[in-house]
Amino acid sequence: MEIDILELSDRSAKFILSGTTAAFANGVRRAMLADVPTLAIDDVNIYNNTSVLYDEQLALRLGLIPLTSSLEDFVPQDKCTCEGSGCPACTVSLTLSAEAGEEEQVIVHSGDIVSSDPNVQPADKNIPIIDLRTGQKVVLEAIAHMGYGNKHAKWQAGVACGYKNMPVITFEGCDRCGICVNACPRNIIQLGEETAEISKDDLLKCSLCRLCQDSCDIDAISVGVDERSFIFTMESDGSYTAQQLILNAVNTIKGKASEMQNILSTL
Amino acid sequence: MIPVRCFTCGKVIAGSWEEYTRRVKDGEDPAAVLDDLNFTRYCCRRMFLAHVNLVDIMAPYQ
Repeated sequence: MEIDILELSDRSAKFILSGTTAAFANGVRRAMLADVPTLAIDDVNIYNNTSVLYDEQLALRLGLIPLTSSLEDFVPQDKCTCEGSGCPACTVSLTLSAEAGEEEQVIVHSGDIVSSDPNVQPADKNIPIIDLRTGQKVVLEAIAHMGYGNKHAKWQAGVACGYKNMPVITFEGCDRCGICVNACPRNIIQLGEETAEISKDDLLKCSLCRLCQDSCDIDAISVGVDERSFIFTMESDGSYTAQQLILNAVNTIKGKASEMQNILSTL
Repeated sequence: MIPVRCFTCGKVIAGSWEEYTRRVKDGEDPAAVLDDLNFTRYCCRRMFLAHVNLVDIMAPYQ
């Protein structure tokens, strides 16, 4: 198996995963979406809410804010020794208190949330949570739990994770008529000296629509895929960096496999 | 209020809402602003384009 990184930033990554099967690539994709635990606000104690948002709406907005998480510091609640009752190993308390007072409009942002743990902070500071008008007030305590994306989207660390097969396009017996150049919606085909051609970088942009293949009158183009090579794109919601998220996803698969090995070896 | 995340893909979009509204109000083209803010998928783009901030209408009544 080989990995060739094309782009890697704090929040997103693009890489070519080759020499593996679609089953494995899909396993990694699903693990990033659903099996990497993150922290998200799950319980909210509202002491005062005179804003126009209902308590439930306010709680949903708080829940969806990504919190910076660490797999080393927290354990998912169902695996915690406290058996789900809530302890410092699986929960974090955050408070939010804001008042418009005499001002006409105060927009409360995610950055106004005060966390009891300095390592657990909202990943984005400028998410508007609530719009307070003169005299309105919000005071609440929020409890964040470690949870899984397969339970609720607020615990989903990976966003828009997907892959496509590596395109393989061959030109054979091309007469350089140029019809395929115009047919391609991504404009990646160029006329070379002897045949039409696609540069290596442009090949990644191919959407495998096969319009070039259909447009060719002499059937000189064949569009296929490399079944063992995948162009992977993924984004993180901010709870982990993109790199950490991929590592965590692979580690969860590894953990599950070794768990199965343990069970099978005791039979 | 703008939803915190995109309904379809789950990307956190609310953080860019204030910049988006300010720049559109200043006369910039919404499509160009969304390109600039790195919203490439049409699911996230429609969240901005189709949003009506009802909280402004409701706010005086409570």
